[in-house]
Amino acid sequence: MVYKSLIPRILFILSLMLVTISVQAEVSASSGKTLFKNNCASCHNKNMKDDLTGPALGGVQERWEGREELLYSWIRNSQAVIASGDEYAVNLYNKWNKALMNPFTNLTDDEVGSLLLYINNMYSAGCAEPPCEDAVPGGPAIAAEQTNNTPLYLTLMVILGILAVVLARIVSNLNHMVQTKEGNAPAQRATLVDMLTSKGMIAFVLFALVIFGGYTTVNNAINLNRMQGYAPDQPIKFSHATHAGLQQIDCQYCHDGARRSKHSVIPAANTCMNCHKAIKKGSQYGTAEITKIYASVGYDPATDKMIENYEDMDIDAIKKVYTDWIESNYRKDNSIEEGTALPKDGVEEVAAQWDGIVSSLTTDVKDHVSGPIPWVRIHNLPDHVYFNHAQHVTVGKQECQTCHGPVEEMELLYQYSPLSMGWCINCHRQTEVQFSGNEYYESYEMYHNQIKDGKREKVTVEEIGGLECQKCHY
Amino acid sequence: MKNRNNAWVGTADKNNDPKFNELATEEFVGLPIAETLSSETGIDTSSNRRDFLKYLGFGLGAATIAAGCETPLRRAIPYVEKPDAIVPGVATYYATSFVNGGDYASILVKTREGRPIKIEGNSLSSVSQGGTGARGQAMVLSLYDSERLKNAGKVADGAVTEMSWAELDREIGGKLSAGSQIRIVTHTVLSPTTKRVFQEFKNRYPNTEIVTYDPISSSALLEANESCFGLGVVPNYRFDNAQVILSFGADFMGTWISPEEYSIQYMKNRRIKDVKNPKMSRHIQVESGMSLTGSNADNRVRIRPSEMGGAIALLLNELGGGVSAPKINDKATAAIKKLALELQANIGKCLVVCGTNNVAHQVLVNKINDVLGSYGNTIKFDAPSYQRQGRDKNIRDLVRDMNAGSVDAVFVWNANPAYDIPDADKFKTGLAKVGTTVSFSTNMDETTALCGYVAPNHHNLESWGDAEPKKGHYSIIQPTISPLFNTRQAEETLLKWSGNNASYYDYLQSSWQSDMMAQQSSFLSFQAFWDNAVHDGVFEVASSNPAVVFNGNVSGAASQIKKPSTGLEVAFYETVNIGSGQYANNPWLQEMPDPIMRTVWGNYLSVPVEWDESSSQFIGKNNTGTKLVYGVADIVDLSVGNFKEPFTTIQQFGQDANTVSVGLGFGREVVGKAGQNVGKNVFPCLKIDENGNTQYYSEGSISEIIGKNREFGCVQYHHTFGVTGEHEGEEVKLDEVALSSLITDGYQGSLTDRTILFNSNLDGVDGLVKDIAKMKKVADHRNDATLYPYKEYQEEFYSQGHHWAIHVDMNACYGCGACTVACMAENNVPVVGNREVARHHEMTWLRIDRYFYGDAENPNTVYMPMMCQHCDNAPCENVCPVNATNHSSEGLNQMTYNRCVGTRYCANNCPYKVRRFNWLDYTSADLFGGNQNAINGEDPAYYTDNLVRMVLNPDVTVRSRGVIEKCSFCVQRIQQGKLTAKAEGRKLTDRDVTSACASACPTGAITFGDTNNKKGDLGQAIESPLVYRVFEEIGVQSSVFYQAKVINKKEGLDA
Repeated sequence: MVYKSLIPRILFILSLMLVTISVQAEVSASSGKTLFKNNCASCHNKNMKDDLTGPALGGVQERWEGREELLYSWIRNSQAVIASGDEYAVNLYNKWNKALMNPFTNLTDDEVGSLLLYINNMYSAGCAEPPCEDAVPGGPAIAAEQTNNTPLYLTLMVILGILAVVLARIVSNLNHMVQTKEGNAPAQRATLVDMLTSKGMIAFVLFALVIFGGYTTVNNAINLNRMQGYAPDQPIKFSHATHAGLQQIDCQYCHDGARRSKHSVIPAANTCMNCHKAIKKGSQYGTAEITKIYASVGYDPATDKMIENYEDMDIDAIKKVYTDWIESNYRKDNSIEEGTALPKDGVEEVAAQWDGIVSSLTTDVKDHVSGPIPWVRIHNLPDHVYFNHAQHVTVGKQECQTCHGPVEEMELLYQYSPLSMGWCINCHRQTEVQFSGNEYYESYEMYHNQIKDGKREKVTVEEIGGLECQKCHY
Repeated sequence: MKNRNNAWVGTADKNNDPKFNELATEEFVGLPIAETLSSETGIDTSSNRRDFLKYLGFGLGAATIAAGCETPLRRAIPYVEKPDAIVPGVATYYATSFVNGGDYASILVKTREGRPIKIEGNSLSSVSQGGTGARGQAMVLSLYDSERLKNAGKVADGAVTEMSWAELDREIGGKLSAGSQIRIVTHTVLSPTTKRVFQEFKNRYPNTEIVTYDPISSSALLEANESCFGLGVVPNYRFDNAQVILSFGADFMGTWISPEEYSIQYMKNRRIKDVKNPKMSRHIQVESGMSLTGSNADNRVRIRPSEMGGAIALLLNELGGGVSAPKINDKATAAIKKLALELQANIGKCLVVCGTNNVAHQVLVNKINDVLGSYGNTIKFDAPSYQRQGRDKNIRDLVRDMNAGSVDAVFVWNANPAYDIPDADKFKTGLAKVGTTVSFSTNMDETTALCGYVAPNHHNLESWGDAEPKKGHYSIIQPTISPLFNTRQAEETLLKWSGNNASYYDYLQSSWQSDMMAQQSSFLSFQAFWDNAVHDGVFEVASSNPAVVFNGNVSGAASQIKKPSTGLEVAFYETVNIGSGQYANNPWLQEMPDPIMRTVWGNYLSVPVEWDESSSQFIGKNNTGTKLVYGVADIVDLSVGNFKEPFTTIQQFGQDANTVSVGLGFGREVVGKAGQNVGKNVFPCLKIDENGNTQYYSEGSISEIIGKNREFGCVQYHHTFGVTGEHEGEEVKLDEVALSSLITDGYQGSLTDRTILFNSNLDGVDGLVKDIAKMKKVADHRNDATLYPYKEYQEEFYSQGHHWAIHVDMNACYGCGACTVACMAENNVPVVGNREVARHHEMTWLRIDRYFYGDAENPNTVYMPMMCQHCDNAPCENVCPVNATNHSSEGLNQMTYNRCVGTRYCANNCPYKVRRFNWLDYTSADLFGGNQNAINGEDPAYYTDNLVRMVLNPDVTVRSRGVIEKCSFCVQRIQQGKLTAKAEGRKLTDRDVTSACASACPTGAITFGDTNNKKGDLGQAIESPLVYRVFEEIGVQSSVFYQAKVINKKEGLDA
């Protein structure tokens, strides 16, 4: 009874695994990631290698080696450590222009540990939990769901191939033996080469190639112009992760058409200005990106006033307004007194930012920086498709994320869903119509009765005609 | 069954023309394209295997290259500062007014992302009452005319040399002096504020005179009313109060003064509300050619135009007038004598109108109305119409003065006298003698080309303004889009030249503050009053009805009546779509078939049709009576005085035997690409009478047949059903032949022993109801034999949610064509041009079939709007190999363009012939653009112009070459209406959804709705026992319900 003796062992192994998992739950890179995103990402770079508003965090444990406890309290309240007079801490503070780091006194040891683990993983391996998969831009969420079966198929094919060859040899041997026995043996047996170049084989290979080729062609043709994962560079490095994720701004604050129009609407620059009148420097790019909004609408951040007759303003005058603003901020950040010459780095930085503004706000049809920001459209439906956001958001009460994916985590927005017809149809087959509480649907008497009688649980979009052609094509 | 299938559409089917019958059996006219191409252009159109392989290779290669290209970078450009009123993707409606000369309608303009795309009627106006005619519907297209004048400038040889507005102001200012003799030439001006601007200009330049004239003039009516009542206005006609309506040549439903208003009033007494006790007014039309109004009349008296005076005088005599009257033809005399009895029996409930421009006629008609007690009942002066203010004398004086050299400056306001008056030549020579000439036209036209300067006005939809179509009925014009070009409001220009630098918006407001504000008491602050007026689009105040006493010189007028002539007479009339030529550059209107002749892109000569005993045929005759004018699209020369031009003839039923008719407004020489040289200009044929009034008929003659029009743009016989044929010497219905000789001949398409029309006289309504019930019984019996589980579908799908349908009351449909144009605007229906129409390629989703019935020489007419019937058992759906057309649970026959591969089986199998195929790339929507236009040496398709494409409805797919399209029941409007109701969490109401045709119909003949909503308008309307479905018995279960036509004909009143 081998099995009986195995059972306790298996149980033991299982319980061990459970313990490991529960222990890991206390200090884990994944909770570190969340913590980092919520607390640190606005000042520290996610790649842990480059400085941002705050210094790069990669290798922080080595820098504080032997003084783990002090590092923990530094993270919780850096000012206290500086006040204690620690030499390294004071130097660091001075190096970063005495920029204050927010205190996070509520972090537990485990949480700080998780953070440090995450920082270390990101620094050394480039992802939260090594081993890292090759990050495909735009596709990680989907890639994770699909398991790769190709090696399995390949192995199977090789085995079957060998089997076919072996069987063919056996057949040919048996044939040969039968022929020999009957006394009309051929001069020689068919060799492997003969078999592979036989008419049957060639016909089969050709047939297989045509089938395979056709299959691939059709599949690729169907996928033409579908742009799942499309993540073009935008004129402004706008981060949905910062706005929707970190700052928790409601999607429909900016995309105000989604509830009432077919378009979700790219917000006008004046919507940006609602907040960015006050927030003049970004956490990631400083003045580089936000100044583009000002240059688009004609807002002078230095004086907090709209510039009169901005559209007709000379490009040099505009350049002066915004380079002055960038320069003064550069001086402030680097503690360079007004009146002293800007170092070479500074001059280059200001010029680079201005060039960025000009190249972002001009296109081949718009040569003036004033005017709308030419965003690159990501979600493109063919012209013969009618899609209405209001129908889905207001009536169907769908979350934006259902189609657009985890936008609140996207640094650079990408097309999450395939936006193919099959994908639409699938959803319409499965999604329940918000029947209750909407008087409009009372005209579907039969369904209401069926629900009342308990014959039916829900009504899907398909059942009220959601798959019909002219719901989307007219 | 009574009156069934005795209707006809034209001479060809009435005559059983074998050629026509052959044609009617084909769904797609088999034009020998290959032969035509090779003979015309020398292209070798035959192809062999090698060619096939070449094309295949090229096709594959091209597709691969196209597919391999990178997806283009698409931008999403937001606003910089988003206007509050605009949500991208949501339509915004603005109330404004359609005003062009005397044409008026209060409208709502649908704008999307700031551009106007569709016109709807404004039901708050008691003048237009939510109605818009075809002209109003089409105005939005003229906004996006890339040939509009874009800058102020100097004109020389028809070309504009640009100059800035400041320069223009300086130059004109330098040329005018306080004593200058200035004339402002204009059609009727409806705007009180514009008149105020004129006054302001007059104050600065006291020798200014306003020369108001109308190309289709009611000058005589105004003069007659002035002499009879002391009020030189068009009175407030009340067709809704009249039980007997008599019209002497006034096309009051098509073109006369305020046609939509009159039609709405007229239809109030023409609909059968109670089948058991039906009541209707009676309408008698006295005219020579068949007008839109005449086609709707119960009785028609045909006379030649010169007999009109005699007919009027005769009637007055019969009513006890005692005036001398020249003799008119015997038939008409007899009819008019009976007519007098009919009128006398309805004293106080009669309305007599007269459309001629002859003062004597109008005075006598006023007397007739006076005798019949019409004043105060059917004719009132409380809210006189200002829609015709032009006096012909004014323009005659101007022409005389200009030629005498006594005019220093002429400003052409909104008129085109170098084209639209009979003495245009004299006007031109006179204009050359005037020192300063300025045109305010929006487009280059015949007059503007001769002016020295042009100060282009904004388009109606870009302007501020007001209108007063009837006294006390004020209407606002507000801009719905920023000016597209560097134009300036003409009023503002004139104000500048009078030394007033106010913007016209401010000026308009102050004008309303001083004039209109005081007439109301609902609003205390002007701002509130103004906001409300702009919001509503109209502001109306009641005015009292002044008692009038007839004081006309009847015997004097009677003495002026002339003896009728004896030769052939030519009647000239205003067409419903092109007007007096001011709409000539509007392709929607050019392609809208004329209601009667059903021709497009041109004016045609209507010739009378007579029964010829010897040949047992209906024939057309020429004036000599010897040569027959027979056949479709024959060309003859029309001669009037020195005028001689070839015209294509139309055999017109109901045309007086001694007359021919031809439409005005065509043959424009300077107008733009669409209207240039379309048809022939017949304004030079018009005569001027001794009072200076333009007369719309002449004596003339027509020649023998001189040719055949090979591009005959007449949709009369296109998409025909309901024809009879001849088989082995006997008249048979074509589908019987189809049944008997199915295998050998294989007829298809044309069904005739079928339910198409039901009609009766008022006294036969009982019988009609029985007929329809009987037909339904037979049809139901037949349809029960279906193999389709229709009942099951009905229970499971069609009874749930919505089931859309249309109800058409053929009594209320008078054929105006507004629905046709509205449909083109709403659904991006392409304009194809005359050549394509001649090839049966017109794309209109909604056609108005016009049938004649009754007396062949003087028939009655039925108009039947025919669109996709959305059959629940649709024959088209079963034959589509790719399932591109299929049925929705809401009863819609869905057409999915992106699935269609263009086999056209569906069109072939459609019993109603309502499917249209995109033969060419009419909209430049193709991946590879069409090249036929270049090969054929034609202009590129109309919708390839980027400015024109602004008018496209963004919610509707623009179809490309090779796909079928058809009426969708305005599914985009259905979806929008449903969404609104869903979002508000309430039941769908009638108001949420309506089709473009239904909302455009002035008289409400079309009702759109949900059959599952039994209490809704549609649910109620289809319950009438007069309702039937076309081809009910073939079991297709169509969703368009027609209400049978009933007329109130009286024997003996026809002639």
